[in-house]
Amino acid sequence: MESFFSRYRNLIVLLAVLLGQVIGLAVQVSKPAVPVNGPIGKAGGAETKDGRNVRVIRLWAAGMVLPFERALHGAGEGIRGFWAQYVDLRHTRDENKRLQETVDRLRLEQAMLHEDALEGQRLQALLKFQQSYIYATTPAQVIGSSGSMQSRVVWIDKGSNDGLQPDMAVITGDGIVGKVRDVFAHSAQVLVINDQTSGAGVVLETTRIRGILRGNAWGQPQVVNILIDSRIQPGEKVLTAGGDQIFPRGLPVGVVERVERDPERSGFINVTVKPAADLQHLDEVLVVTSLEPHLSAAQMADLKTSEDLKGAEAAADLARKKAAAEMAERLPSLKDPNAPETPKLGPDGKPLPATPTVPVTPKPLQPIHPDRFSPGSSENAPAPATDDLTDSGADAAAPKQSVPPKTGPSKTPAPKPKTDKPQGRTP
Amino acid sequence: MSASVCSRRRNAIAVETFLPDNRREFEIRRYPSYVYALVPLLALVLQAWLPRLLGRFAYMDLPLLVTIYFALNRRSPIHGTLLGAVLGMAQDGLTQGAIGIHGIANTVCGFLSAVIGLRVVVDNNIIRLLLNFVLTLLSGAIMFFVIHMLLGLDWRSNWLDEVFRAAGNAGIGAVVFPLLDRTQIRD
Repeated sequence: MESFFSRYRNLIVLLAVLLGQVIGLAVQVSKPAVPVNGPIGKAGGAETKDGRNVRVIRLWAAGMVLPFERALHGAGEGIRGFWAQYVDLRHTRDENKRLQETVDRLRLEQAMLHEDALEGQRLQALLKFQQSYIYATTPAQVIGSSGSMQSRVVWIDKGSNDGLQPDMAVITGDGIVGKVRDVFAHSAQVLVINDQTSGAGVVLETTRIRGILRGNAWGQPQVVNILIDSRIQPGEKVLTAGGDQIFPRGLPVGVVERVERDPERSGFINVTVKPAADLQHLDEVLVVTSLEPHLSAAQMADLKTSEDLKGAEAAADLARKKAAAEMAERLPSLKDPNAPETPKLGPDGKPLPATPTVPVTPKPLQPIHPDRFSPGSSENAPAPATDDLTDSGADAAAPKQSVPPKTGPSKTPAPKPKTDKPQGRTP
Repeated sequence: MSASVCSRRRNAIAVETFLPDNRREFEIRRYPSYVYALVPLLALVLQAWLPRLLGRFAYMDLPLLVTIYFALNRRSPIHGTLLGAVLGMAQDGLTQGAIGIHGIANTVCGFLSAVIGLRVVVDNNIIRLLLNFVLTLLSGAIMFFVIHMLLGLDWRSNWLDEVFRAAGNAGIGAVVFPLLDRTQIRD
């Protein structure tokens, strides 16, 4: 007689394993949230620090997989480096790499300074607002991903031994990438901005509309919680707002790709953003390890260089203008009295037409057969003589009118004078 | 009585549990120990590494594929269950989500693969193709159920990606399974 457990052993094992995992899920999700730096990004309750037991599982999984990832990446980099840094090209490539790093740093500084110029440093000082600049960064290589479409994370080859901590911003020279989520000794997990559980405070450059950036099911970053009456056009740049205390203000996020209604909430729109950084092909990233309220020495030196260059050009331009103004003041202005009067130009640059003369109100024609209704006539009034039809001498001061040609005898009565075509009849 | 005979009798009893009226000869396929250790590990490493090269076209789930293969050929529901649980949780460890989402999905798929392997001859490539496609879709459905119903998370899924993932898995399985068949220990 078989026992119950031996008869249904397989089903019992299946149910036990499933039950254990469900209990593990419940413990992970229902445990009290451990506060993590950064107020934004708590969608769905997934942005919490792992408990001790879960971290062990993650540690084992990472420890099992990441060394091989690092080895694969290192082998690939070694082969590429050996080929690329062949004898003649070694110094050239080093110099190119150094210059590229400088260019990337300058582009980031330019983006931040542009935002500062818009807002006004003086206003910020009055508001006692501390602008955080990127003070120090650590380069890192992307060595792996999560392998799941539901989870947009990447793994980098720097960890706590290199000074990384959770909630540090990760960027590239093109734009933001994400933030550090889990840190181990020699590796770290980065939550990319196109993940559904991510969150970054952003602002649109032109309209200054603020929102939260997170990914959708298709891995596209979207700015959500925007009212439908917001006038947002495709092509508008999206920048970091700085309010999440993770990303410094003014960093490029991307460009608005399309605007569509939120299918789940009427009155709101979702703004899909094309990210500035190539999130599908990340190789090297920068982890912002330090934010300071002032620029670093290297940044100050770069700024001084760019200001000197700009200053030299501006000074030369100013000198030219100044010299031209002085010349204009010193030289006397000459005017030829016989020169034809230059026509006055209107606002459109075209010469104004001659001032039109005021048309003289024509005298009404005397009726040929006056009757009692004719103005200034009575029943016994004699018929007007033809001499009365001539203009009096008092009218001689009036500008002469062109004599219209006499029309032939017509059966119809003489037409009334039109206001737009002043006519006067002189015999 | 030798140990192998005892194990065969136990396996026969396990078969009778699901096929009480259908006794047939079956073969439990065995593999070297290093295959059991290296192949799942390689699946995890490649699952984390290949998406960097393939980008958004990384439609595959290699740990699930390995679970299905070993569960089919070992014909042991317990073995399939445990292998699916371990590989699934290791896969969860590489994500930022809760541990157990892939674990539960791979556990169920591993169990079902073993059960199917007991009833159906799965050496045919077309059957393997169909099985991989269906079980990958089932894995996606189970994950959707776990995330939405059990965890209550607001997680929007893309059904088209799931179909592509199932098709990709089926295609990769059609290539990889015959290669893994060569590593079997032949009696």
